[in-house]
Amino acid sequence: MSLIEVNEVSKAFRVSKRSAGIPGMLVNLVAPKYEKKQAVNRISFSIEQGEMVGFIGPNGAGKSTTIKMLSGILYPDSGSVRVDGYIPYRQRREYVGNIGVVFGQKSQLQWDLPVLDSFELLKAIYRIPEEVYQNNLSRFTEMLDMSGFINQPVRQLSLGQRMRADIVAALLHSPRIVFFDEPTIGVDVVGKETIRNFLCELNAKDRVTMLFTTHDMQDIEKTCKRLIIIDKGAKVYDGLLSGIRRAYGTTRQVDVEFAGECTVEPMEHVEIRELDGPGGRKKRFLFESREVQIDSLMGALLARYAIRDLTVSEPEIEGLIRKIYNGEVAR
Amino acid sequence: MTKLSPYLAFARKSFLGRSAYRFDHFMGILSTVLRIFIFWEIYRALYGGRAEVDGITITMVATNFILSLGLESVFYVNDYYLPSRIQNGSIATELLLPVNIHGRMLADNLGHALFQLLFHFVPAVAFSVLFIRIAAPAELSMAFLFLLSAFLGYGVLWTVSFVAQMLSFWLINVWSVMTIKNVFVNVLSGSMIPLWFMPDWMRGVIRFTPFSSIYFTPVQIYLGQLSLTEILCGFGVQVFWILALFLAGMLLWKKGQKKLVVQGG
Amino acid sequence: MKNDTLHLAGVYTRTVMKSWFQYNVDAVLRVLAVFLREATGIVVIYFTLLKFDTLNGWNIYELLFLYSLLFLTYGIFIVFFTGLRDFGKTVRDGGFDRFILRPRGLLFQLIFSNADWFAAIGHGGLGIVLFVVSAGNVGIRWNPRTVIYYLAAVAGGILIQGAIFLFLASLNIYLLETDSLKSLLYWNMRRFAGYPISIFHKAIQFCMIYVVPFAFVNYFPAQYLLRKEDMAGYPAVYMYLTPAIGVCLYLAAYGFWRYSIRFYKSSGN
Repeated sequence: MSLIEVNEVSKAFRVSKRSAGIPGMLVNLVAPKYEKKQAVNRISFSIEQGEMVGFIGPNGAGKSTTIKMLSGILYPDSGSVRVDGYIPYRQRREYVGNIGVVFGQKSQLQWDLPVLDSFELLKAIYRIPEEVYQNNLSRFTEMLDMSGFINQPVRQLSLGQRMRADIVAALLHSPRIVFFDEPTIGVDVVGKETIRNFLCELNAKDRVTMLFTTHDMQDIEKTCKRLIIIDKGAKVYDGLLSGIRRAYGTTRQVDVEFAGECTVEPMEHVEIRELDGPGGRKKRFLFESREVQIDSLMGALLARYAIRDLTVSEPEIEGLIRKIYNGEVAR
Repeated sequence: MTKLSPYLAFARKSFLGRSAYRFDHFMGILSTVLRIFIFWEIYRALYGGRAEVDGITITMVATNFILSLGLESVFYVNDYYLPSRIQNGSIATELLLPVNIHGRMLADNLGHALFQLLFHFVPAVAFSVLFIRIAAPAELSMAFLFLLSAFLGYGVLWTVSFVAQMLSFWLINVWSVMTIKNVFVNVLSGSMIPLWFMPDWMRGVIRFTPFSSIYFTPVQIYLGQLSLTEILCGFGVQVFWILALFLAGMLLWKKGQKKLVVQGG
Repeated sequence: MKNDTLHLAGVYTRTVMKSWFQYNVDAVLRVLAVFLREATGIVVIYFTLLKFDTLNGWNIYELLFLYSLLFLTYGIFIVFFTGLRDFGKTVRDGGFDRFILRPRGLLFQLIFSNADWFAAIGHGGLGIVLFVVSAGNVGIRWNPRTVIYYLAAVAGGILIQGAIFLFLASLNIYLLETDSLKSLLYWNMRRFAGYPISIFHKAIQFCMIYVVPFAFVNYFPAQYLLRKEDMAGYPAVYMYLTPAIGVCLYLAAYGFWRYSIRFYKSSGN
């Protein structure tokens, strides 16, 4: 039996439907209408001990709802969930000590107090033995390079710092399973990298089982072997990352606006397109991520040219899902 | 007209937006009605069957409460409109928009107030009047002058809040200031104790504040307590306060903006 | 409570107090603001009674004594029940989801993870001021019996209001939006409760005694100590019921909470 077993799980919500205009306003006031929204529709999957699984899909696909059912916040309408032998929503108090949950958009830290105060509180809440607490605290603080801000109030932290602190907060009690809901959202490139490396190391050394949702395909690429894609509440892909790698394309696109008109010398493995005509200010760089590191490309450009603006486009999940539907990827 | 149209759009949006809070809205009406009843019952007990006290009949007291508590529900001012924008820094981007931010705030508040007038004041007053005898307007013309004066009363309340909101340039948190401001409005405007019954020395003090212009002047006009000259005088005082407070607010606004620039946003 | 639970309660309280008093100047101003806001009702009564002398046989000191019970109970009660007062907000911003994810009792976390110390000091301070001003001027003979009665009544009043909040929080699980219901059932009734209920319409009196029993928070306990004439309109036994009602109501509300919590739906995004 697998560590996490999700079987034919469904969940629907009731959402109010607004009518527009002045007559619509009167209708809303007297007799509001509701409609049923199927957030998750008969999803099944299982995850083994020590796996690290990426859980992706467009906004509103049902990722957060699934995470909430796995962590015991929501009851499924039908189907069953079993994690580590527990039914999360029935055996809450016995179960939750074994898991950690990070909601990227909702901090669990005390807003006005230093990070350390929140950790001390969690130590009391989870009854973490002093030794384990000190061990985890010093180890994670070092791995995530947090010693510089651990005594600062949370409200003064940058988003990336706050996220790192939130991740540690979810891990202090040494959970065997951790769910991450958008753990890199809004975090800058360097911060994202720190977080990804940390997660990989934790998975490799401590054999912590992880499931995480993200918008960012790079998160998945750098951390997970296995991937589950859901769309409109249903599972559309469940398998190895390598199985879809070709389909979603590892092509990266960087649009650069230079400070002045210029020509760029050709680079190996990089296709350069002139967006403003030859020798113009705007150029597009296309390359394969396995052949060219984005940082080295940007480093090379920044070293030689004056750059005004620069956008990196990442492969879109929506495009990938379209390809799956079109049969370009085997399910 | 085109100059006004964005403001009309803001007002319309705020008007329509109110319907989203359906349950809240009905509870709000009930709350107003209950407050009117509380005060009515208290004064019935205080009067203890007397026809009048100091020349004020119980019907006049009831009229005072129905009108001023009713108007209180209409006189909507979002005390945190500017403070919230100043605190989260979005004021800087809003200042770049081609609409005047104070005009936008007024339009937003007026849209809300109009909604309250139609869907809160009318039902709450209509319901209260079923159970409590209210005085008819002294004359038809007085009813008209009452409306005019009530409109100016809203202006006074709005500009009081306007000045208080400007303090957010200097304070981290204006919740305390707003709460204390509202204490003054509640006690001194006559919506919780009719100003007739205030001790003389208090009435002397209140005369020099803007608060009695908010609800009490309109109510007095409605009841026919004021002569024509006194009514004109009342209007004059209301207009004076609106102008004075608005100017004070703008002065603080100018200073505050400078402070915003110095801080470097 | 187990030792470990007490320890957590202590850590929570320390954390919450530290949070509330992060901004020193603002904290003082906030306490003052709450104090003044709550004093509004008192000022109104004071000015009114300057004109009218008595309200249905109650003089100004007796009315202030009646009021003081309301504030004292709230001042203590809010230290424990802020989490329930703000329950709707906690649910909306996902804070309650977080409580579910922690291996502790949900109600325990709600109660100890938040305490509005400004309200506690503002209300409690006002209650003490009113008590000091009025208690010596209303002819109460303080002896062990009356002191014990008074303390039991305060405890009962706290439990009654706690039960109301707990009940409303439970309703919140079904309705998701109960702030206006709370303002109707709690805050409006509290306004009535500042006055002797005998002056109100029978329907309102009925509400205050049997529906949202604020009458047992201050009116009946005050009557035990003051024995005003209008008590003749009610069964004398009501003067003794406050502690019992507090305990029963709280247990009932707790039962309802336990029953309702199973239906909790996370608000989602």
